[in-house]
Amino acid sequence: MKSCISLAALLLLFSNLIFSQSRRVSGQVKDERSQGIPFASINETNTKNGVTADATGNFTLTINGNQLTISAAGFQTQTITVSGETANVTLVSSGQLQEVVVTSLGIRRTRNQVPYAAQQINGEEVSKNRGSNFVSNLSGKISGVDIKQTNTLGGSTNVVIRGYKSIIFDNQALFVIDGVPFNNGNTVGINTNTANQRTGRGGFDYGNAAADINPDDIETITVLKGAAASALYGSQGANGVILVTTKHGSKGLGITVNSGVSFGAIDKSTFAKYQHEYGAGYFPSVRYEDPNTGLPYGFANGFFLWRDIDGDGQNDYVVPMSEDASYGAKFDPNLMVYQWDAFDPSSPNAGKARPWVASAHDPTTFFEKPVSYNQSIFVNGGSDKGTFKLGYTRIGDKGILPNSEVNKNLVNLASTLNLTDKLTAGAALDFSNIVGKGRYGTGYDDKNMMTNFRQWWEVNVDVKEQEDAYFRNRQNVTWNWTDPTILVPIYWDNVYFSRYENYESDNRNRYFGNINLNYKATDWLNILGRVSLDSYDELQEERQAVGSVTTSSYSRFNRSYRETNYDLLLTFNKKLSKDFDLKGLLGTNIRRQHTSTIRAITNGGLIVPKVYALSNSLNTPNAPVEFDGIREVDGVFAGATLSWKDMLTLDGTIRRDASSTLPKDSNVYYYPSVSAGFVFSKLLTSASWLTYGKLRANYAQVGNDAPIFSVYDVYAVVPPFGGEPQSSVTGTKNSTSLKPERTRSEEVGLEAAFLKNRVGIDFSYYWSRSFDQILPVIVSTATGYNSKFLNAATVDNQGVELQVSVTPIKKKDFSWDMIVNWSRNRNKVMELFEGSENIVLATFQGGVSLNATLNQPFGTIRGKNFVFDSASGLPLVSATGRYLQSVTSNEVIGDPNPDWVGGINNILKYKNFSLSFLVDMRHGGDVFSLDMYYGLATGLYPETAGNNDLGNPSRNPLSQGGGIVLPGISVVDGKPNTVRALNGFGAYGYLRNPAAAFVYDASYIKLREAILSYSIPKETIAKLKPFKGIDLSLIGRNLWIIHKNLPYADPEETISAGNLQGYQGGAYPSVRSFAINAKLRF
Amino acid sequence: MKKIFVIIVSFLMLTAGCRKNITDLNVDPKNPSTAPSRAFFTNAQHTLMNTLASSNVNLNIFRLIVQYWQETTYTDEANYDLGTRSINDAVWNALYRDVLRDFQEAKNLIPTDVADATVQKNQIAISDIMQVVTWYYLITTYGNIPYSDALDITKTFPKYDDAKTIYNDLLTRLDADIASLNTSSGSFGTADVIYAGNVAAWKKFANSFKLKMGMTIADDDEVKAKTVVEAAVAAGVFTSNSDNAVFQYLSTPPNTNPIWVDLVQSGRKDFIASEAIIDEMKSLNDPRIDDYFTKDAAGGYSGAEAGAGGNYATFSKPHDAILAPDFPASLLDYSEVEFYLAEARERGYSVGGTAQQHYNNAITASIIDWGGTTAEATSYLGQPSVNYATAAGTYKQKIGIQKWIALYNRGWEAWIDWRRLDYPQLVPGALALSDIPLRYPYPVNEQNVNGANYEAAAAAIGGDLVETRLWWDKF
Repeated sequence: MKSCISLAALLLLFSNLIFSQSRRVSGQVKDERSQGIPFASINETNTKNGVTADATGNFTLTINGNQLTISAAGFQTQTITVSGETANVTLVSSGQLQEVVVTSLGIRRTRNQVPYAAQQINGEEVSKNRGSNFVSNLSGKISGVDIKQTNTLGGSTNVVIRGYKSIIFDNQALFVIDGVPFNNGNTVGINTNTANQRTGRGGFDYGNAAADINPDDIETITVLKGAAASALYGSQGANGVILVTTKHGSKGLGITVNSGVSFGAIDKSTFAKYQHEYGAGYFPSVRYEDPNTGLPYGFANGFFLWRDIDGDGQNDYVVPMSEDASYGAKFDPNLMVYQWDAFDPSSPNAGKARPWVASAHDPTTFFEKPVSYNQSIFVNGGSDKGTFKLGYTRIGDKGILPNSEVNKNLVNLASTLNLTDKLTAGAALDFSNIVGKGRYGTGYDDKNMMTNFRQWWEVNVDVKEQEDAYFRNRQNVTWNWTDPTILVPIYWDNVYFSRYENYESDNRNRYFGNINLNYKATDWLNILGRVSLDSYDELQEERQAVGSVTTSSYSRFNRSYRETNYDLLLTFNKKLSKDFDLKGLLGTNIRRQHTSTIRAITNGGLIVPKVYALSNSLNTPNAPVEFDGIREVDGVFAGATLSWKDMLTLDGTIRRDASSTLPKDSNVYYYPSVSAGFVFSKLLTSASWLTYGKLRANYAQVGNDAPIFSVYDVYAVVPPFGGEPQSSVTGTKNSTSLKPERTRSEEVGLEAAFLKNRVGIDFSYYWSRSFDQILPVIVSTATGYNSKFLNAATVDNQGVELQVSVTPIKKKDFSWDMIVNWSRNRNKVMELFEGSENIVLATFQGGVSLNATLNQPFGTIRGKNFVFDSASGLPLVSATGRYLQSVTSNEVIGDPNPDWVGGINNILKYKNFSLSFLVDMRHGGDVFSLDMYYGLATGLYPETAGNNDLGNPSRNPLSQGGGIVLPGISVVDGKPNTVRALNGFGAYGYLRNPAAAFVYDASYIKLREAILSYSIPKETIAKLKPFKGIDLSLIGRNLWIIHKNLPYADPEETISAGNLQGYQGGAYPSVRSFAINAKLRF
Repeated sequence: MKKIFVIIVSFLMLTAGCRKNITDLNVDPKNPSTAPSRAFFTNAQHTLMNTLASSNVNLNIFRLIVQYWQETTYTDEANYDLGTRSINDAVWNALYRDVLRDFQEAKNLIPTDVADATVQKNQIAISDIMQVVTWYYLITTYGNIPYSDALDITKTFPKYDDAKTIYNDLLTRLDADIASLNTSSGSFGTADVIYAGNVAAWKKFANSFKLKMGMTIADDDEVKAKTVVEAAVAAGVFTSNSDNAVFQYLSTPPNTNPIWVDLVQSGRKDFIASEAIIDEMKSLNDPRIDDYFTKDAAGGYSGAEAGAGGNYATFSKPHDAILAPDFPASLLDYSEVEFYLAEARERGYSVGGTAQQHYNNAITASIIDWGGTTAEATSYLGQPSVNYATAAGTYKQKIGIQKWIALYNRGWEAWIDWRRLDYPQLVPGALALSDIPLRYPYPVNEQNVNGANYEAAAAAIGGDLVETRLWWDKF
């Protein structure tokens, strides 16, 4: 069927090529930067004969005379004399703010004609900091967009525009490159990470596929925030659209070369700090033989194993190496103890006892200072016959962990050919190759050293010595031996062994391209036919070496994704009269997404060490898990924009989609939108302070289909028991009565510029209601299921976005521009199915869950809470001096949604120097920290040691004046607590405190980036043939966390992209990086 | 102009002409919409046994609660921290969703894919017996639970039923199942891993389980218990170890005994022997000690104090035989039946024999089942501290302690009997977060998604606490 349509489209286009006309002039209207000016008016001077240029400034007009008058909003009108058939005109800016905005389906509009919120920034804004992931480079630069990136190398970026609308499924913005959707992950749009990875239970963060976009290839980015702006994209655009317009060739030849290198190091404020007073142990939980009395540990000096190691017949002190906590013996340099290295025969310290002190190299030394490079070359050119562009970018990123790197090769190729005056053929192909090795393990897992360093660690262990121990023989010589007599790792591998032996590797090859034919049928009608393909194949391989704590294994995951879009787009652009201008469009889109995956893993271990192949499986591997699904959405759409005097704009669109994932009788849904814009400044020409003013309002409805395979029930096939087949009812009950989910949204906005554009504001208020949401609601498992598919929920989002631009100083040699982005979103779960009061999104280790609770913001964190004294509001403390905990685990203890987010971007220019810096802020929003939950329990952090209110070491036994007094109200007498509780394992951490104790405010203020660049003056350049320009930059990223409330971690760090936010476990520190870059233009 | 309209119209027509039924794309090509009923039966049986046999700290920690084993470094579970790892959720999910639901699916499908009417009837009865067994574990673990509304996805918020009422209904079901078993015909054949489809064996099992159910409620409803127990015994219960309901695991993953997965394949060293059982066995010169445990570092047997942790190398550990991948898991055995009969005699039920005979039979069966000899049993029983006539305490104490030893490795069973017989007297873990649990709290998921029914159930049983006694746990 698909080939059927595309053929039809192409045939129709070709069959209508020939229109013969005489006395025709064609050309392009450009601005001073050689960019086409869209919709410029071209009139034969002093006649009514005229046309409007297309979106790239091209026009064709039949004339009788030889003079043309060209005008465009924001430019000085110009009259030229035409000789011949070509007329290229460059207009000079009139100094008025008159941006051109790329909107839905790549349609360029003047700012006056955009009746909805669409914020545009230049590609330069996301490429100049030379970060390899353009998505994270957007942070703080666009209002209403919440961007969170994990701190893992090449990790995921969570991009949510105007809040979480969908409860379970994708809320990620759609990426569109030159009109073609660019897949950002799997079919639910997040990434390819497993469910376990996303809920913090281990696995690698493979990042999302939007990171394949080459920042250097971006001309502009437009963010379409509201439904009215993106309704034409159908369900894919329901969460907002990030439209990327890539660079295109223009006349002449240009070569741009970028070469940069960057250096990174962790920001120590986002990593653990350790107490240096006590070593390995679980006092008072784990008890050992006491050397003197034979009493168990906890009653006397029994912090060590008591064994005869040196064979002198006397027992010696041995560190309890199996105890991965630091509630042990107080450090004492005079005490000689045997540590793990005494039992490593290759160690210089083999067989030797050593002083009992804190390690010289704590886990901070584990992090490397990576060097990354980024080089690109772009060649573009063009002539009357067409244009072309060819770019190649190479980016190599090394991580802060040993043996980690991600390398990217990106090729961008595009070309257009003018077959006739009216017919242009175009083709574009991007190829990307991403190769990763040693990505970071995430979550609660032995392949994530952060679990080790932040939660379960002995502060007497020297990381540098672990490194030496591994590299001596490349064996798993761990600090965490089971026992001096059982030299195998008990819980944790040597961290270097883990990095170098249990590494993953992955690669993704992607082809993204399209062929198109553009036919300019008449002056006012344009027909575009396009077939596009987004195709990638990836392989992820994970290894667990023989000798690890975990069973050795090899697994591979192959995934291939093909998205084909067939588009036919007719656009009209007609001046109805002097004052009325009509734009129209009519189109069809057929989208077919085919995902197939296969995951296979060895069974029960590997036979031969270091051979990572399925055939090396100790037992016959279970059948691989396969997925093969196709989603097709067939859409037709139409739109019209009527403007009057370039002052009033009315816009209406409608799209109809039919989706394969919904039941047959309810698989069709519509997306209507209406918008209006009013440029009131045109009426206030006398107000000289007002440069520009526009009011806009719109309403839209968008729909969404169901996840694939959520209609019909299937059974799960379980590996057979011997020869007996096994089958199971799947955990999710599907539904044949699903209907499309809908979002209704309203928006009003004001754009204004004052004082000759020295001050500008752009304000939006929006409200949206997402209802009939399709989701597999988690049900009581007493039903026999985990979940069932339903149209189950209604979520409201409302918020405001504000962008203010100010130019405090504008002199010939010096200018200062400041752009402030600010937004706040409030969401609320309005309605749930069948009287339900809560939907569980996911449960996490630590007894907490994320929920959609009726009448609460989306994503609330639930768990055990303190019990509060009603009078004072302070937590109640038991008779034994510990906090009381709620009986149930379903109390709301946190809300991960920020109160507001914002960014302040400053650009200072002095002659050829430019300095820009971006301060990025997030206020409010909670995060549960599993790292604090466990790390405080195991006594790693400074607050678990030191002296108590009596001036005694708080870890002393109560009989020796130790112990801690928890602030709160005593349940015994209603007075402030005075009972001293033992400071041992769990006193500050999870065992003795409710989950609510580990919920922190995730606010931050960050100096996100600062860039100093210098352009070599034109006069100098002129002497330096063949250069057209040389720019040198010094770049700093994530330079400084000015403020945060979450201890020892980056509040922005998250496990993965997606709806499950507000949970940290095994968090990575953020990386501060400095780069230098040279940009050469030829 | 006209030409353009022709283009548009013809395109739209072409689009429409090419249309096919896209809904067909939504049929999953990789997962079946049909499967044989026996496949659900095997899977449910397998999963039930995995749940009972498991030693995973995320699922089955009963060996720790009844102090057969202790934990080395991470002592949370030995100190009754059920919440951090959501253990109470995991048990509930496994039994409802993974076991009961699949037995239900087998029952639903048998009438359509099994040809022989008698075989059909036998299969449905056996599946229902297995469901009754599963319900028994749920109800003795939580108390009031969803029953009449359960296993029905249209009832999204299942209400909780009174535990005693459910229990009586289970007994009625069990009687009906026994009545409909036809021993002259077959059932599941090899899809039944426990009895290979032997209907006579299932009948004996059902009556033995009925005996167990009767005895469980003896403290609460003596009249009912007596009737049930006597009827069961009259119909024929286990008479030797060859009747034991045993699930024979295979030697390769994923079909091995879960203990092997948790302790051997994982390489973890979390468990050591518990002081409580080691000291008891040592004091009784129990011949099974070398079948239950390995020797400690000093060459003897020692266990760690409850909940206090301990060094892995220092203490005795579960015996290697238990860690074999194909070590069988027991659902019900002859020894257990004889202990019930001994108790029934003490309560004055007409089940034949004397309490001492049944007690001796029970202990002998256990010793032999663990690889011991009759001579060992005779000599063990000959000790005054073991001899039923001379051993210390009430019948509850004598039976309680010996049954606890005999039920080694079957923590869940031992936990039920420990609550019922109140022996041995266990001391709570050193850092216990609560008393030794007398029940499990309801799952957090129920609090979150079935809130109103949860609240009602918690109120009905007297609070959703681990200390709340279930209706049959009178003392």
